[in-house]
Amino acid sequence: MLQLIISEDFFFSMIRITAPILLATLAAIVCEKGGISNIGLEGTMMLAALFGSLASYYAHSWVVGLLVAILAGVVVSALMCFFIYNLQTNMILAGTAVNMIGSGGTIFLVKVITGLTEGTQMTSTTGLITQDLLMPTIDIPLIKDIPFIGPVLSGHCFLTYLTFILVFVTWVILYKTPLGLNIRSVGENPNAASSVGVSVLKVKYYTFIIGGVFCGLAGAFMSIYYAMGWSQGMLAGRGFIALAAQAMGIEPVGGLFASLIFGFAQALRIKFSAVGIDSNICSTIPYIITIIGLVVFAIRRIQNEKKKRSAEALNNK
Amino acid sequence: MSEEYVIQMKEITKVYPNGVIANQGVNLDVKRGEIHALMGENGAGKSTLMKMLFGLEQPTTGQILVNGEEVNLTSPTVAISHGIGMVHQHFMLVPNLTVAENIVLGMTPTKSGIFMDYEKAVSLTEEYSKKFNLIVDANAKVKDIPVGMKQKVEILKALVRGAKILILDEPTAVLTTQETVELFKELKNLKNQGYTLIFISHKLNEIMEITDRMTILRGGKSQGVYNTKDVTPQEISRLMVGRDVILKVEKDKAKPTDEVLRVRDVEFVNDWGKKMLDKVSFSVRKGEILGIAGVEGNGQKELVDILFGFNTANAGTVEVNGVNIKGLNQKQLRDLNISLVPEDRMIYGIAGAASIEENVISDRCEKPEYNKGPIFNMNAIHETSDQLIKDYTVLCKSRDQKVGMLSGGNIQKVVVAREFSNNPKLIIADQPTRGIDVGATEFIRKKLVELSRSGIAVLLVSADLNEVMELSDSLIVMHGGQIAAYFEDTSKLTDEEMGRYMLGIDKQSPEQIKEVCHE
Amino acid sequence: MNKKRSTMFSVAKGALAIFVSLLVAAVLVFVSAAGDTVADKLAETGIALKSMLVSPLFKADGSFNFKGLCDVLALMIPIMFTGVGTCIMFSANQFNLGSEGGIMLGAFVTACVAVYAPIKGVLLPIVAILAGGIATAIVLYIPATLKAHFGVSEMVNSLMLNSIIQYTIMFLLNMYLADTTKGQVQMLPIQENAALPQIINNGSKFHVGFIIAIVVVALAWIFMYRTKWGYSIRMIGINQDFSKYSGLNVVKIIILAQVLGGFIAGIGGGAEMLGRYTAYNWKTLPGYGWTGVTVAILAGNNPLFVPFAAFFISYLNKGCTLMATYTSIPSQLIDIIQAVLFILFAADKFLSRYKQKLVVKSAEEEAAIKRQTELEFRGGEK
Repeated sequence: MLQLIISEDFFFSMIRITAPILLATLAAIVCEKGGISNIGLEGTMMLAALFGSLASYYAHSWVVGLLVAILAGVVVSALMCFFIYNLQTNMILAGTAVNMIGSGGTIFLVKVITGLTEGTQMTSTTGLITQDLLMPTIDIPLIKDIPFIGPVLSGHCFLTYLTFILVFVTWVILYKTPLGLNIRSVGENPNAASSVGVSVLKVKYYTFIIGGVFCGLAGAFMSIYYAMGWSQGMLAGRGFIALAAQAMGIEPVGGLFASLIFGFAQALRIKFSAVGIDSNICSTIPYIITIIGLVVFAIRRIQNEKKKRSAEALNNK
Repeated sequence: MSEEYVIQMKEITKVYPNGVIANQGVNLDVKRGEIHALMGENGAGKSTLMKMLFGLEQPTTGQILVNGEEVNLTSPTVAISHGIGMVHQHFMLVPNLTVAENIVLGMTPTKSGIFMDYEKAVSLTEEYSKKFNLIVDANAKVKDIPVGMKQKVEILKALVRGAKILILDEPTAVLTTQETVELFKELKNLKNQGYTLIFISHKLNEIMEITDRMTILRGGKSQGVYNTKDVTPQEISRLMVGRDVILKVEKDKAKPTDEVLRVRDVEFVNDWGKKMLDKVSFSVRKGEILGIAGVEGNGQKELVDILFGFNTANAGTVEVNGVNIKGLNQKQLRDLNISLVPEDRMIYGIAGAASIEENVISDRCEKPEYNKGPIFNMNAIHETSDQLIKDYTVLCKSRDQKVGMLSGGNIQKVVVAREFSNNPKLIIADQPTRGIDVGATEFIRKKLVELSRSGIAVLLVSADLNEVMELSDSLIVMHGGQIAAYFEDTSKLTDEEMGRYMLGIDKQSPEQIKEVCHE
Repeated sequence: MNKKRSTMFSVAKGALAIFVSLLVAAVLVFVSAAGDTVADKLAETGIALKSMLVSPLFKADGSFNFKGLCDVLALMIPIMFTGVGTCIMFSANQFNLGSEGGIMLGAFVTACVAVYAPIKGVLLPIVAILAGGIATAIVLYIPATLKAHFGVSEMVNSLMLNSIIQYTIMFLLNMYLADTTKGQVQMLPIQENAALPQIINNGSKFHVGFIIAIVVVALAWIFMYRTKWGYSIRMIGINQDFSKYSGLNVVKIIILAQVLGGFIAGIGGGAEMLGRYTAYNWKTLPGYGWTGVTVAILAGNNPLFVPFAAFFISYLNKGCTLMATYTSIPSQLIDIIQAVLFILFAADKFLSRYKQKLVVKSAEEEAAIKRQTELEFRGGEK
């Protein structure tokens, strides 16, 4: 059993699976820092994945696909922001609406755009995305020749590498740029921010747009690489898992580790199914881990607060 | 037009949309390089006046001159551009940001236009910190630094933005004694460097120590400008504390009987480690109104929170009719027939989007007389709400009207209708008439007297001197978390006397204070 | 603002939201309509809109389509249950989205009981449906208690549970409960006495579940507006601080709202199972939970309006299906219409300028009344 898990392809697939969750988690982290609980990640990614795959097919270029996916992510996010902050829609309901369009509206769009009508359940763009339209993978020289590590780390899609770089980039944006400073201050104390002339609304839009870019990348990853096309239910709740990963990770690096846990759980699921354990029961693993993780971190947070308070009380005596 | 005045506010009148007149023809002249005190009781109009100076509110009539030029202060940004900075009582800081980040927020220095130049932020912080001798740790997160340092960060924030005139809104309210001493040194230092300071405070000794001149407000009107060295604390207290309009409430002499509320040696330390209640002991008996007077922020809020289960005392006991209330929740407290008219009626007092009827039954919805088996007895509920609307003259179209749509006075009538009508044995009335119209005020005060005479124990907490002196049978004054005085009979009490205890000029002996325990 | 005026405002806002979403639908239909010329497209759009908005109830010759009405009413059944369940949960400000998994679990558990339990006569469907409801209530207790005690997001947890429910059911179905004689994955057929009778037996599947749903709507309304528990749920949803101060047991009520919402979704699944199918065969989440959320928002979280909202959504749903058969436009247009409707209903500032005017007008009137009464009061004193 252990041998099965500690194998090259297990870790390779774990990294591969982690990437889109991590992108969504980074989106959730940026939004949460800006005081936004972005429930609509799933729907945003769905739309980005759909438009990305279609653009890739019609333009015959994954580059165009990637760019269109990002654009779709940004547009959807900006619209959400408009509804939440200009029209005062409840954040959760706005996100739910985006998810509705993401799960049902996408089928309408794909049918209209491609003209594929046969069998509603089967509607997807998987038939359109051929091997040559996929985002390319990269073999890393030198590293690829190292035994074990090579096959695990090399040969991923370039976006996978970019994703891990984006962990660092996100940290830089949040902690090393004026925009990040504004995002964090608006998220924590909007009154303080507006009292020194920071436009809260503008910062909220920027926050949503950054989240939209990440969702766009995640959508593109799913439809122009991982799943080779768009299909209904392809995300299987990754947008929601990302919310859980955010709650555990809080910071970009923490989000990386939380995402890896989910990547691990998903990879485990695949491995388990491969050795004959029922694939359905394996499919529940990531979700169960999410719930357990959320509870553990919530309890830990409560305990930390208690500890901190009692410590402060002691110090002040 | 003399050059010596940096700020001139002329004939300022401010009427809020709801009709409240906060300032009426107020003049404020502040000389360059002085520390000018702005004094007055709660609700005297100090905050409104300063909000107008900082661009958060606009005057209804009157003009504001900065350095002799008339200005139109439409927002804080405009005020800052005229060199006016404000240190808010509730800090406008972001806890998870470092000190340096907080200071440069909104004007962040950059490297190559993209990255935040954090080093520059730190060096800027340190430069100003050194220049004004306001020692802060530029790299520490704000949530980790003590309150005193947070205040320095606020001051630095204003100075870095080029403020020459600083408004300090009750800066010592959150500080410990040592921190206050330190702050005063720093403020004097700022003054010596040519800065002008407007200092809002209730604390007489501080005013006497640090300010050059003072403007005293009372009831939205100015009581004049004085040189600090020319007036005595007694005179200030007389100017500041006083009643203009007295609403007389007829009441016969109280005949108190059994003890209902028994508070002994209660202590409370708040989250920042400041001791807010220090060995507070008193008793309230059936049939009397005990008033708690005092300038706000002297422990009254903490006391009420403990009495109604929102907080737990660090030491001491609270008993209601012999039951220790420690650890009881609001439901259990209400089962002991304790009622609370909360200070913040919009947060605790009502559910704005619910109807009047739904609001008046919130404390009794589980009682048998309002339920027939699992179902509400709607007849009884309608009857009660109609009766309460009638008894408390709530001005509304019907019991189905949403409470949030009523006027402030009527909202408060809904709150007291509920709290007074559920067979209370003890009523805690926290600022029961704040910010409501005269009619409703008079009504609620009469009701309180009536209830106390029917044998209910009433604890009245109020920063409104008129109210607390007029209604209370006996009265305690709180200052600095302690009981500063106890008066068994309020009828012979003068405003002047009250002022001295409220502002901490005088304090009674422990023996005198102990009499409130009736032991 | 008085009640009549605010009701009028709600109606106006609702009507405009419906109009806007249908407008969006019309534009989408036009864009996606087959045809090379504008005239062709317009013609196709006309057919599409007609089939969407008129065809569910009227035949091509203009006569009333009774079967169509039955179809629409049958479609309402599951979403009335999820709608009411969601109303109760949302009323307490608990954004639990578990009715999606809840209805699936209810259907599954009910089916298990209906297949295997040796119960005679009419008792079987009753026990089976209640079992479905109780099972769902137990599962939704998990996010409820985690929220009430630890502050963990009930929304994320309920979504996770939806997936767990789906895969666990598939696992049980595949491994232990499948009817091996059938080509597709499904359970053994339910016992004959378990099936809910049809109200009208014309193939619409307009079954007794409809009556149960209406009863649930009525009971839910009584519960929400005529009992202390429903009252507490609503007060907590409006102002939690106020509720705590008033002595309501906030933790208990937060849990109650979600467990009860789960129970109703569960019996909805059970009723739909026994009324529409002869054997359990759902392999993915049915989507009724999400529609239930839309229904709840349209109904303003009041159970009484749920049947109307459900009828409206079912009507459009049926219309979109018909549209897809008569034209080339896909039936999933309903999802976009739903989302637009949903978000417009949820947007506070939508039409807010108009509402502001109403509030000001009301305030002025109130002030006038006040002056009037004061004058009378003084007059009386003289």
